[in-house]
Amino acid sequence: MIEASWIAGLGVILFSIGLLGAFTRKNAIVVLMCIEVMLNAANLNFVAGASHYSDVDGWVFTAIAIAIAAAEVAIGLAILLSLYSTQETISLDEANILRN
Amino acid sequence: MSDTKNEWGLLVPIIPFLLVVPYLKFLAGWESVEAAFLIVVVPLLTFPVILILGQLYNGNETWKNRYKEGGIFGLGALALALSITIWIIYDYIAGSAHFEAHSVVNPFSWLTFDVIEQSGTQWEVNTGFADIGVGVWIDSVTLMLLFVATFLCFLICWFSLGYMNTDKINEDSNHRFYGVFVLFAIGMFGMVLADNFLWLFIFWEIMGLCSYLLIGFYYWKESAAYAAKKAFLTTRVGDVFLMVGLLILYDIYGSLEFAVIFEDPSTGVGGALVDSGELFWALLMLFIGAVGKSAQFPLHVWLPDAMEGPTPVSALIHAATMVNAGLYLVVRMVPFVDVHVNGVAGLEDFALIVAWIGGITAFMAAAIALVQNDIKKVLAYSTMSQLAYIFTGLGAGLLFLNIGEHHAGYFVIGASMFHLFNHAMAKGMLFMASGSVIHEVHHAHDHVRELSEKYSTNEGDDHGDFDPQDMRIMGGLASRMPVTATAMMFGSMSIIGIPLIGGFWSKEGIIAETWKACLDEEPLMFVPALLILATAGMTGFYMTRMWLMTFAGPPKSEVVGHVHEATPWIKEPLIILSIITAIGGFALALFGAAEYLGDPEYDHLSFHGILDTLEHAFLPEDINLRLVGWTTILIAMVIGPVMASRIHGGRLIDGVEASPLVSWLVNLSSRFGSQDVSELADSQLAEALQRRLYFDDLYEIILAKTTTPLAELSAWFDKNVIDGVIKQIESNSSAGSLQVRRITTGSARDYILMAAVGMLSIFALVWGVGA
Repeated sequence: MIEASWIAGLGVILFSIGLLGAFTRKNAIVVLMCIEVMLNAANLNFVAGASHYSDVDGWVFTAIAIAIAAAEVAIGLAILLSLYSTQETISLDEANILRN
Repeated sequence: MSDTKNEWGLLVPIIPFLLVVPYLKFLAGWESVEAAFLIVVVPLLTFPVILILGQLYNGNETWKNRYKEGGIFGLGALALALSITIWIIYDYIAGSAHFEAHSVVNPFSWLTFDVIEQSGTQWEVNTGFADIGVGVWIDSVTLMLLFVATFLCFLICWFSLGYMNTDKINEDSNHRFYGVFVLFAIGMFGMVLADNFLWLFIFWEIMGLCSYLLIGFYYWKESAAYAAKKAFLTTRVGDVFLMVGLLILYDIYGSLEFAVIFEDPSTGVGGALVDSGELFWALLMLFIGAVGKSAQFPLHVWLPDAMEGPTPVSALIHAATMVNAGLYLVVRMVPFVDVHVNGVAGLEDFALIVAWIGGITAFMAAAIALVQNDIKKVLAYSTMSQLAYIFTGLGAGLLFLNIGEHHAGYFVIGASMFHLFNHAMAKGMLFMASGSVIHEVHHAHDHVRELSEKYSTNEGDDHGDFDPQDMRIMGGLASRMPVTATAMMFGSMSIIGIPLIGGFWSKEGIIAETWKACLDEEPLMFVPALLILATAGMTGFYMTRMWLMTFAGPPKSEVVGHVHEATPWIKEPLIILSIITAIGGFALALFGAAEYLGDPEYDHLSFHGILDTLEHAFLPEDINLRLVGWTTILIAMVIGPVMASRIHGGRLIDGVEASPLVSWLVNLSSRFGSQDVSELADSQLAEALQRRLYFDDLYEIILAKTTTPLAELSAWFDKNVIDGVIKQIESNSSAGSLQVRRITTGSARDYILMAAVGMLSIFALVWGVGA
């Protein structure tokens, strides 16, 4: 049995990678993937907690979060599609018409 | 307009209204006093009905011809009010057991305030401190005014059916006229019936509003809109003082109910003795309100301009009813000063002020009336002058009461109220008669214009400045309008005070008692006494002049030849009121109406007043009063009219005969020779009188010097200080928002960064607090 703290540590590393990617990358699809990484890092933390405390709540919460994340990805991709169809780009640097 | 078809069938819808009183009396078993509230409530329900139906069916043929654009509904409601009034009067005179000296019916309380008061160191809630009820107060003065109001409202509404509905200019807007007319009736009836000063004030303001709306009925005419504003604002000046007076009264008595105040006017709230100085100011403030409403000096300037309204409005509001509201308010002050029963001594100064204002206005208005050429303006100034008579009489009456001469006081107050009755009847009729003249002259003018347009293709509009109210284009109408001429003759006689006709009895009483007050009690009464004596002669002059200029002599323009007295609905009120002014005053005088109206202890009308009344009128014991009485008769009946005849009298043109009732007057007027007054007419005095003694100009200048700069200052303050603050806030926020806008880069990464930093900050905060 792996220690819960190791799993939580993996979650922190994954979250940091996701956050860094979301900050630095300009391809919107990559940013979306980074966000998914962060979500899964959070899920990992739930799982760690659940196994540590032998509590089923964490598992249930993770299941719900994954389901919602699926929906969120669908919406995110739809946004990116319409972004591409109107702006002909998916670069976040160029999609800035809300500026000022 | 030879449209003389029989329109009596239109009256069928008012029959149900007339059946209400028999139903209530015989089937429902009501007492007359219980029905009194219907006098106000029924018009209150009728007025929105007229306005709403008028909006819905505007222009509809049935609505226009069958219901006279709502006039029939108004007539029905007023008929009901009149029939209930007559029922109450019948009970009152018959001495029905349900009346005390004053009768108060107080069905429910309306407003109840709780007041928190400090007693020692404790605060305690005093429940039901100010209890303002809705009730009805009935005494002889109420009934007299109520009869005048309901009767004249009914007749003038009837008259309006003919006057308003046959004029093209009013087409499709008459429902507005009848709606406001009925609303006015609510105001007048309610004010008269109110049993406390607050309700009196509320209905008083409703009347002011209706006056404004009806003067400005032809709102597209600039002069009418101006006159409406002037009337409203001038009376508002008085009303502000009236409200202050009511507050002082409340401070003294802790209530505004007649029943509470008049129970014992000498003790105020908590049994404290009332200070005559404080009461003086309360009464003076109320009196200023009355001065504004009754168009007395110095708030008189609105009444002549108010003649811009339709003539029925002038007849109703500005001659017969609303302007009497001020008089009613002063009569309500009688218990305050009547030292015979619980009054407060030391208010002689107040009585003198009332008498002086009355005397000055009477003389001034009569002087201005001498030179007016507009038939309605003459009547307007005459109204002011006659109301001023009543104020003088009331002033004398209050003086007598305050020094303990209560018999003389009651008599002159009764005479004043009786003069109010006579004047309202006569002046309401005179205005309707002048309306009849104006209406027919106007139609004759239209007729003449049609004729001339048939024969000439002249496009020029040289009729645009035609004024159907100008007496200088009339003359010789006695043969063309017999009913109107007769009515106007009786009305003028009543106003002049020809012996045995209406106004004589009451006017004689006022003048004689004012002189008595001057000779026996108070030398300062000399000025008002002298002024109203002189006014009697001037009244004789200007009323005769008006009649002769309109009806006697040769026609002064071609229009006169086309005048026909043909409009339906106009003659009946004139005939009814002619009879009342001719013999009604005499009959009432013989029954002792003056004593009855003034004295609360005088029980019933009775015949024993005949000899007293005749003796008082013609052969009073005091030799001075006898002199005054006969002087009045001499100058009012002989000197004034004869002078007018010398200037304006004359026979009709040959071959034309007036009706026998008026032809004697026309012929008599030509017997006194003629006199050329063109030199006098060009004098500076005549010019000053024409310009209304420059009061309007003076007020304009004063307003230009005071109110206008104040208004400009306020405008500057509003623009620079108030708007400036707002604008500064606005520009600061917009500059601030420019700064804030910089951080919205539009780049998604920056937003993510902000969200992350924010989130982490919250975590840090929570962690820090938790630790």
